[in-house]
Amino acid sequence: MRALLDDVIFWVLALLAVAGGLMVFRFDSMARATYALLTSLLCVGGEVLLLGLDYLGVVIVLMMTIEMAIMAVFMVMYMMNPAGLMPMTMLHNKQGAAAICAVVFAVLAAGILLAPWPSRRGRPPDDPTMDLGLSLMGPQMLTMMTLGLALFATIVATVVLATRRGRYDRFGDDLKARRADDPVRGGTGR
Amino acid sequence: MPDAAPLWAAVVLPAALAVAAVVTAGFDAVLSGSAERGPAGSLREAGLRATAPLREALRLLVQQPRRTTAADRLLGRLGVVLVPVAAVLAGAVLPWGSRAVSDPSVGIVWFNAMEALAWAAVWLAGWGANSALSLIGGYRFLAQGLAYELPHMFAITTAALGAESLRVGDVVAAQDGLWFAVWMPAAFVVYLLSALAMAFWGPFEHPLARDTAGGAAAELAGVDRLVFLGGRWLLLVVTAGFSVPLFLGGGHGPLLPGWAWTLLKTAAVLALLVAGRRLLPTLRMERYMELAWMVLVPLTLLQALFVAVVVLNR
Amino acid sequence: MDLRGLVRRTAMNRPAVLTVALPGATELRLEAEAEVRRRGWPVVGAPAAADLLVVCGVPAPEHAEWLDRMERSMPEPAVRIVVGESGQVAHALGMARGDLTDRAVTPRGGHVDDRSEAQAGEHGDHEHGEHEGHGPHQPADHAAHMDHTDHQGHGGRMDHSGHDMHAMEVAGLPMAERGDDRDELRLDQLHVPFGPGLGDWPAGLVLRLTLQGDVVQDVEVDHLPVASGPRPPFWDEPWLRAAHGEEVTRGDAVRRRCAAHLDSAGRLLAVVGWDDIAVRCRRLRDELLSGASGEGIGGALRRTVRRVGRSRALRWSIAGLGELPADRARAAGVTGPALAADGDAYDRLLMWLNEVERGLEGLDDTRPLAPDDRTGPRGRLDGPQPPSQALLDILAELLTGAEFACARIIVASLDPDLDELALAPVPGAAHA
Repeated sequence: MRALLDDVIFWVLALLAVAGGLMVFRFDSMARATYALLTSLLCVGGEVLLLGLDYLGVVIVLMMTIEMAIMAVFMVMYMMNPAGLMPMTMLHNKQGAAAICAVVFAVLAAGILLAPWPSRRGRPPDDPTMDLGLSLMGPQMLTMMTLGLALFATIVATVVLATRRGRYDRFGDDLKARRADDPVRGGTGR
Repeated sequence: MPDAAPLWAAVVLPAALAVAAVVTAGFDAVLSGSAERGPAGSLREAGLRATAPLREALRLLVQQPRRTTAADRLLGRLGVVLVPVAAVLAGAVLPWGSRAVSDPSVGIVWFNAMEALAWAAVWLAGWGANSALSLIGGYRFLAQGLAYELPHMFAITTAALGAESLRVGDVVAAQDGLWFAVWMPAAFVVYLLSALAMAFWGPFEHPLARDTAGGAAAELAGVDRLVFLGGRWLLLVVTAGFSVPLFLGGGHGPLLPGWAWTLLKTAAVLALLVAGRRLLPTLRMERYMELAWMVLVPLTLLQALFVAVVVLNR
Repeated sequence: MDLRGLVRRTAMNRPAVLTVALPGATELRLEAEAEVRRRGWPVVGAPAAADLLVVCGVPAPEHAEWLDRMERSMPEPAVRIVVGESGQVAHALGMARGDLTDRAVTPRGGHVDDRSEAQAGEHGDHEHGEHEGHGPHQPADHAAHMDHTDHQGHGGRMDHSGHDMHAMEVAGLPMAERGDDRDELRLDQLHVPFGPGLGDWPAGLVLRLTLQGDVVQDVEVDHLPVASGPRPPFWDEPWLRAAHGEEVTRGDAVRRRCAAHLDSAGRLLAVVGWDDIAVRCRRLRDELLSGASGEGIGGALRRTVRRVGRSRALRWSIAGLGELPADRARAAGVTGPALAADGDAYDRLLMWLNEVERGLEGLDDTRPLAPDDRTGPRGRLDGPQPPSQALLDILAELLTGAEFACARIIVASLDPDLDELALAPVPGAAHA
């Protein structure tokens, strides 16, 4: 009974995820495309929950919602027509894209079919979240720390490169100005 | 660890949250009424003012819905409905006394994820109407989200760190003796701020502010408006209520049973927030953002560090 | 009576009110606001939220269009009333509520047709809404609703031309254009007119904004035509009448000045989002105008002023907005509190409130106002132009580059009174 229910939920979420992914390319509005993608990703989060990885599943929901909402900001920045009045399409370079898609699909499907999947040994841990934490902060600590720092450095570097105004523009050539000279004043004066 | 509540709790939860929301809105209406027209002269007048939210709801039910030119109704409706849905889903991990509708092992992350749905909801509602003012309201909320979310995450992480668990029940159990609010005051205050910000209410109502004629809600009428604004009150009740298990010891307390303590503490937090709202103008994000990232983020990080050191040494 | 009818009647017992004032109708607006507050009806800021549109002042024919548009974007049941004369408000509101309850109980059928047809022809505004559910007659909905599947057929052809679509129109609405932002990114910009039907907005003011995101890139200051009526501008009345040789006491002039400043402060505080104090300012304003004595009102007024002065959050929130140093103000011809404040929106607010507090002692002064005293609430009335004209002139310069929210605060912190423009052609306005 339980297994059947799991199967049903799996297939419903899987179909919804694929349908959401398809709709990204069918919708003619950026907003709808973004939120179709979000639907798809939320379904994937549901699948992860189904695997018993509560933490990862919920974090996918959390992160993807925020991420897609932010993506909407950029969308608004570049295309301000409310409610996506301007028709658009997500399809570009159709033939090339189709070829790439087919190849990637074939490779992945072949991988799934050909890989020697191991059979389960032992039981799943009682608290997968704890195990995940121990793994990330144990054997994989160096990887995660390096990765984290690299990502953070990338973000900072991108912002620094993208910003035209630096501290000399804001605080004067001797950096002595009491209040930053910004187009819009902030909350702490820095 | 709290027991799982029976199934009927899932049905009662939305109703209980709605009652709490109406009472809170009524209290707010009484305070607004006394600012606007002086203190209520009679008990009848006070009662009349307190029922204003109910009358308002009835009025909106009688109103016909409307729509704007070339609106994206699918997304707009989705945004409107998502607000109360997010509130109720987040409320599922709220423990009442020693029971919650559900107490998953990652309850705190669940709460945070559901609350993040409001990001999408407000933006969608603002976008859908195809009106410049409501769109401005919609992306004001995203700016607000970017400002409050980081300090908020660090604040709730601090509470989880203190209990060494992401399960809400464990966080409550860890406060048997000492409330987290006592030794994590910075995290508590930041949480209260972000509770208001998540519910885009009070000093954080800029996404729906008067200067944009109602912002994200500017084009909503009738039932749409009722669901959206009612959902906002639900969200406020849930986010304020969640500060009780996180920082105020949940159902722990002498004499009274657990559920009564939860109710009392939640009412106290809500009363504090509603009354405190009178003291502040709306916080605009172009100012608050800098404060949040330059002051609140380091503050909550220091708070988390302090708690981590204490936990490691006990 | 059936239950349905009872529910509908109860629901519309306290309709939500949207007040729109036309230039020259300040007194009527104050009357309407006081009456609505006395009745405890909710006040809203957008047509979508309103049941009752109260138009203060008699609309000229050229006002008909935007007022109609506002009324059309209200959800059914909706009623519009025009308050044209002083003393009518209470009666008009009572009648309007009767209309509303009737209409809520028996939704109208016969009137619908002409309304729907009017909608079919016009889609020129972002903020105009349409009702649905008006029975079979719905040409507007079909014309206005752009079916998304329509695009999919020719979606493929738009592959690379997507960004050249800016000049076209969809559903009768113009598309956004593009322009460089302040970081030299090329982004979409929208041209959006704001006013005259906004809440907490100077009556009759229209700002044509070029918005990029919510940054005001460019602004064109415009206003509804201001006809010089039989009565002088309400806020300047005592001084103009004194200049005309009429007997006016100093107390009356001070009272009018204090009320004017409280009105402006209330508006600014409402825009800033501090409703609690804003409504207190408005209540005090109405008490002043209805003749409250200095002692009677002094305590409450001082408490309110002190609360504003002590609020660090308010200062943090609006300091630095709309910076207007005295020399720039003087060069632009600004004379009143905006010149004396010599600073930003916060300084101007404090200047108003300080003048109000100082005025408290003079409220009951019965000496006659000197006929050569022509300093109204917004500045000198005998200058080459009315004081509010100067405020309008500097508006564009102060608003350009501000965020939309800040722009609203800057407008409210100057609070030009468009009634004064009726004085425009007469230099030394005293002889008007």
